Amino acid sequence: MPTLTDFLQFLFAGLTNGAIYALIALGFCVVHNTMGIVNFTQVDLVSLGGMFLYSALFLFGLPMPLALAGAVAAAALSGMAVERFGIRPSRSGNHLVLIFLTIGLSVILRGIMKLVWGKNRMAVPPLTADEPIRLFGATLLPQILWIFLLTTAAVILLIWIFRHTTLGLCMRGVASNPAAAAVVGIDAGRIRMVSFAIAGAMGGLAGALVTPITTLSYDVGVLLGLKGFAAAILGGFGSFGGAIAGGLLLGLLESLAAAGLSSAYKDVIAFGLLLLVLFIRPQGLFGAGKR
Amino acid sequence: MKNGTALFTVMALGLFLCWSNASSAAENIRLGAFFDLSGPASNIGTPTRLVAEMAVAEINKAGGVDGRKLELMIGDTEGNPAKAATLAKKFIYKDKVAAIIGPTRTGTGMTVKPIVEKAGIPTFMTVGGDPIIMGGKFGSYEYVFKSPQRSEVAVKRLFTYLRDNKLNRVALLYAADSFGKDGAEWMEKLAPEFGITFAAQESFGPQDTDMTAQLTRLRNAAPQAIICWTIGPAGAIVAKNRHQLGIDLPLFQCHGLPDPKYIELAGAASEGDRMPSTKLLVAAQLPDSDPQKKTILNFIHLYEEVYDFDRQFPINTHSGYAWDAVTIVAEAIRKAGTEPKALRDTIEATKNFIGVSGIYNLTAEDHNGLDVDSMVMVEVHQGGFVLAR
Repeated sequence: MPTLTDFLQFLFAGLTNGAIYALIALGFCVVHNTMGIVNFTQVDLVSLGGMFLYSALFLFGLPMPLALAGAVAAAALSGMAVERFGIRPSRSGNHLVLIFLTIGLSVILRGIMKLVWGKNRMAVPPLTADEPIRLFGATLLPQILWIFLLTTAAVILLIWIFRHTTLGLCMRGVASNPAAAAVVGIDAGRIRMVSFAIAGAMGGLAGALVTPITTLSYDVGVLLGLKGFAAAILGGFGSFGGAIAGGLLLGLLESLAAAGLSSAYKDVIAFGLLLLVLFIRPQGLFGAGKR
Repeated sequence: MKNGTALFTVMALGLFLCWSNASSAAENIRLGAFFDLSGPASNIGTPTRLVAEMAVAEINKAGGVDGRKLELMIGDTEGNPAKAATLAKKFIYKDKVAAIIGPTRTGTGMTVKPIVEKAGIPTFMTVGGDPIIMGGKFGSYEYVFKSPQRSEVAVKRLFTYLRDNKLNRVALLYAADSFGKDGAEWMEKLAPEFGITFAAQESFGPQDTDMTAQLTRLRNAAPQAIICWTIGPAGAIVAKNRHQLGIDLPLFQCHGLPDPKYIELAGAASEGDRMPSTKLLVAAQLPDSDPQKKTILNFIHLYEEVYDFDRQFPINTHSGYAWDAVTIVAEAIRKAGTEPKALRDTIEATKNFIGVSGIYNLTAEDHNGLDVDSMVMVEVHQGGFVLAR
């Protein structure tokens, strides 16, 4: 019978994965809010975050804080490059075309990563020492605390940008009415590029934080990204609060299903519940209803 | 005039190519070789190809087979069974190969199996799964052989060790893919024979990144040891999770993980983990009386110093399988020639063949030919593999 300590352990495991799903979900939401599309390169921006961290540490020999900042910045730049050289030249307003374009770009990014970093699994060191900390009988890695801390900081920063800066105002403007935004002189192309940069930073941070736990390869972001996508839908696609709640909920569902019911069917249980939620609330938990 | 010259050059070139092609076909013995050179298992397929090429180069350097050179026709299965099927047909009907080496993965191998069976071309696979050389519902296996040990052999090796160390009550954690389930089935089947009981069983998805929930449940069942059966990075994650949870039960991994990569991915958490392995990883520690020692040390010398593969692909437990497949086939061609039926019969009659991965004794029923004594138990000790005590 699981004790209270065990339950705490499952809770930590769930929240760790949940925080990562939430970061990725936020990346999906930012682009969705300004362009109205699902950006599938998000999954590769996660892998890229881990790759850049690896290179910064071992190729350039940077200390960890600098390497982490560099990895996030480089992932943000990659996001901008995807928008500028991948999406914008298509000059298409058709959402379906754009979404397919992101799928193609995602395959290209994975190919590039395979060429640059190779096909082998790599080990990324955690931010600080790997000795587990005991907390009320349960144990957790320092990396898990870093994940909670930095995810929270990133979310607060994101919300602050959106609510309290001119840039955020412009982004909200482009999201709600691109034509009107253009009339008042907002450069929609630039705003979209910024949204890709933020998506890249979110994905890159998620990748840099989680790969010390999961190990790193060119396709590590695919499954994580898929879960992040599911989390974004669960929370109501586009809603920031929803993305965070959706991510944490999905992580907890997985962990508790594995612990309480059956480890073999935990994904079936977690995604079954996700479907159930969407049957009852098609717009997601925090969705704005019909658009 | 200028055009005339160009035309003549092209014709001459064409003639030259035809001639060189025809002559090489008459002289060389062709072997088809296809592996996962791209796709998810490319980190296994690429070094396998390098080793196969190394084996062929060494045989040719020593004068080839009866004065004829071996020639590898390389193909990339891309981890795609349909692509592998196309390549197998190309090898058989267009390249007219004498035998085929590969593919890399069990699923791909199962697709290729009926094709080579129908055409009657001896095929030496480097796949892990046993169904390749099992009959009944898995189809006939007259022409199909494989060089890596069966899962059954690895399980027996592990269970012998557990019995000798009086670890009778174990908890089992396996991946919910075909490899993990195959291992779990063999363990359940063989457990009574070795007096081993299972305190608990849990599984996880091969792509999962956190197994603390499963390990917590296993710990609560109070076993004497934990056995984990999976390939890839999941095994390293289990080791790290066990360390994180502070579970001080011994952890045993399967025969797919003895690889410097495992230690690199799991870090200090892998210290003390034990697993069944080929002798390749602990060659220096083998007694001089071991009949394989000379072969293995020669292989390591070639791999690391002559061909310099180890910087990109450090030697692991699987490195020798392509070498064994190529050398057994070459030896059989030397004895029987390239007529497929005779070649098949000769491969099947291989006895006491000292390979890198074990001593092969093939029979009509056993198209692998490696027994429990081809494996040793190894232990992670100070960042390297040593023989387990």
